[in-house]
Amino acid sequence: MNDYLPLVGMIALVIVFVLASFVASILLGPRNPNSAKQAAYECGIVPESEPAERFPVKFFLVAMSFIVLDVEIVFLYPFAMVMRGLGVFGLVAITIFVLVLLIPFAYLLSVGALAWGPVAQVIREIVPVRRTSVAVLDPALTEGTTGQAA
Amino acid sequence: MLALFTQPIDAARMIAVPKIDWLAIGPPVVLFTAALAIVLLASLLRGRSLQHDLDDWVVLCAFAGPIEFWLGRFSAIRYNHDVFSIIVMLAGIGSVAFAMGVSIVRKHTFAASLVIALAGVISAVAITVAQWNVVRTSGSFTSMAGAVAVDGMAVFVMGVVLVATVFGLLLGTSWIRREQLEGPEFLALLLLCATGMLVMASANDLIVVFVALEVFSIALYVMTAFDRHRIESQEAGLKYFLLGAFSSAIFLYGVALTYGATGSTNLVTIRESLTGLVGGDNGLLMVGFALMLVGLGFKVAAAPFHMWTPDVYQGAPTPVTAFMAGATKVAAFGALLRIFVGSFDLLQTDWRPAVYGLAIVSMIVGSVAAIVQTDVKRMLAYSSIAHAGYVLIGVQVATESNGGLGGTSAALFYLGIYMLMAVGAFAVIQVVGRARETDSSLDDYKGLARKEPVLAGLLTLFLLAQAGVPLTAGFVAKLTVFKAAVDAGQFQIALIGMLSATVAAFVYLRIVLSMYSGDEHGSATPVEGNRLTVDLPVRITISLTAALVLLFGVVPGWLLDVAEHATSILAG
Amino acid sequence: MTPLLGAVKITTEYYLAVGALMFTIGAVGLLIRRNTLIMFMCVELMLNAVNLTFVAFAKRLNDAHGQAIVFFTLVVAAAEVAVGLAIIVAIFRRRQGVTADDVDLLKG
Repeated sequence: MNDYLPLVGMIALVIVFVLASFVASILLGPRNPNSAKQAAYECGIVPESEPAERFPVKFFLVAMSFIVLDVEIVFLYPFAMVMRGLGVFGLVAITIFVLVLLIPFAYLLSVGALAWGPVAQVIREIVPVRRTSVAVLDPALTEGTTGQAA
Repeated sequence: MLALFTQPIDAARMIAVPKIDWLAIGPPVVLFTAALAIVLLASLLRGRSLQHDLDDWVVLCAFAGPIEFWLGRFSAIRYNHDVFSIIVMLAGIGSVAFAMGVSIVRKHTFAASLVIALAGVISAVAITVAQWNVVRTSGSFTSMAGAVAVDGMAVFVMGVVLVATVFGLLLGTSWIRREQLEGPEFLALLLLCATGMLVMASANDLIVVFVALEVFSIALYVMTAFDRHRIESQEAGLKYFLLGAFSSAIFLYGVALTYGATGSTNLVTIRESLTGLVGGDNGLLMVGFALMLVGLGFKVAAAPFHMWTPDVYQGAPTPVTAFMAGATKVAAFGALLRIFVGSFDLLQTDWRPAVYGLAIVSMIVGSVAAIVQTDVKRMLAYSSIAHAGYVLIGVQVATESNGGLGGTSAALFYLGIYMLMAVGAFAVIQVVGRARETDSSLDDYKGLARKEPVLAGLLTLFLLAQAGVPLTAGFVAKLTVFKAAVDAGQFQIALIGMLSATVAAFVYLRIVLSMYSGDEHGSATPVEGNRLTVDLPVRITISLTAALVLLFGVVPGWLLDVAEHATSILAG
Repeated sequence: MTPLLGAVKITTEYYLAVGALMFTIGAVGLLIRRNTLIMFMCVELMLNAVNLTFVAFAKRLNDAHGQAIVFFTLVVAAAEVAVGLAIIVAIFRRRQGVTADDVDLLKG
């Protein structure tokens, strides 16, 4: 026990010091905020405009689809554990479950959510896709084609 | 090969499987299947489909065909399969099949989706009617290992939700065509949303309630943010999502604490275990159901948990707002009634004051805050908060030993009528809003009566009904709620309700006066092409809701009777 | 030489306390943070706090139901993640920045 006492003391000291520094800077530090200082990346100059960001929606799309289909495992694993005990009932139930997940998967394929990079170009040459995932998420791209509502 | 999967290792390890009761879970299963079919159709036909082509006769076939079929089916059962009923049935099937076939051949994805959706919803209504008959003749029952309850209240709530879904589909159809958005997806989402609500209506287990709550909420978040032409819609979606997820988490924590205190999530078991806990000081249980009340309070938009309502009602596409006002409230109140009146009624001394307070705050906040609004959708959002307050009056007198049944049936009756009034009013607002829903401020309604006398007259009817003017259904609804309160000796809350109804009437009259006052822009004759387009789906919705609002205002007996028989809550 | 925490026996109450603490952190975070992505993470924290609570109660009550419920909560949380991300991405693409203060078109 005694061997560890300095270590515990050290940890306590560190915590006290960090907290004290924060409190001291809040209490003692001068504060005259202005918009340049409060900007996320402070360098003393007020930015004139936000930089145009390249925002890769594709990654989000794949991540979102992955999350939903991934959760399938949460139910498949317990089913695998008791599969024989459940008999035909379990088999039918899990088949319906997987089918229900397959249909949205077919939908994902059809909107082109999973077709990107070189594959997407090949697919686009074969099948003229009217609406891709990009079009769904970015109105600007489809404004001209589908937005002629009065 | 199959034997490999199904052969049990030994008999002792066999698990008792529940029996699937198809009648009990029929309506949600039908809707869910329809939603999946639409998704499948949309993915198979993509790329070659004509998105928005939809003829009026398809709408008519899709709407009338299933109704015809089920009327024929019921008459066939009653009159022992006479030729006439069979012909009606066949005609129904024929018109649906014809509309479906033509739409698919022409690659009209949206039209085909609408046919599937309406057929699904109307079939679900028919199953609900069958359930109602079973409940009336042989009483309530639970099935699916006690997780699903089929009782009067469940069937009534399901019926109201399904009717709201039909109207939602019709309004959505018109809106999708006008805004040129993804049609099949919207219809599938609406059906999924309705599926969640149906499950919620008959859920007899807190976990089923939670899953159903999430199913319909998640679909609603997407539908709220569906209009990608309007940034307001996406903002509303984000707000609804954050606050909705917050309230769901709070509800779930309440479920967890209740589970810890009672050892079960089944509402019947909880009720049984409460008899041993009553009188004791059980903090866990108190916190548990307080959190559940907060969570459901968010969903029914009761003040002080109403912050999201005005923003979301205003930002969401109008058909979604109509559906939200009509169906979400009913489903959430169904769960509220089942949990608190049905299962926790032994603890009523603990939760009733809270609901009493919620009712008063909702009525006052809803009525008073609506006065200062300038946007019509926002005004109706605040008025929906006030309406939630009136329903809460019914909920909190429901456990009263004298006239308790009056409370439940008054709440249910009010919800049914409110659905009609809200859907009708939002249908007119959708038409007046024009493309991109730009025209929803009070100024845009100036001179509407001169330009569109019929529309203005119908909106006046819906607003007067919401205000509770006699000869409309709204009057009867308010009357039954106040009567239930007075029967239970609660004169104060009835008085507050009447006063707030008077204040709210001012709000509705403001809209009406605005419509009948002159047009500031001074255009005496409406310019051709500037006229509002009222297409067939909206026409059907507005005329049906208006007819029902008037009908139940003059002869409310039938629906009141149904609501009185719908008071059986199984756990209670 | 005894371990530092040897005297303390970890009971289910500790798990419940941690669950309650996590839930509170999530709830407070959701209310005070302005970045929608962080608000979103707070919701996930709340749901997972509930999961912990369910498992702890299941252990205390010696009842498997509580553990089965966690599966459902997990799935619901995943579905919420997908939808929430989609909405946030859709807004983010139209305007740079996802702080809740930017979302201010609807007022009244």
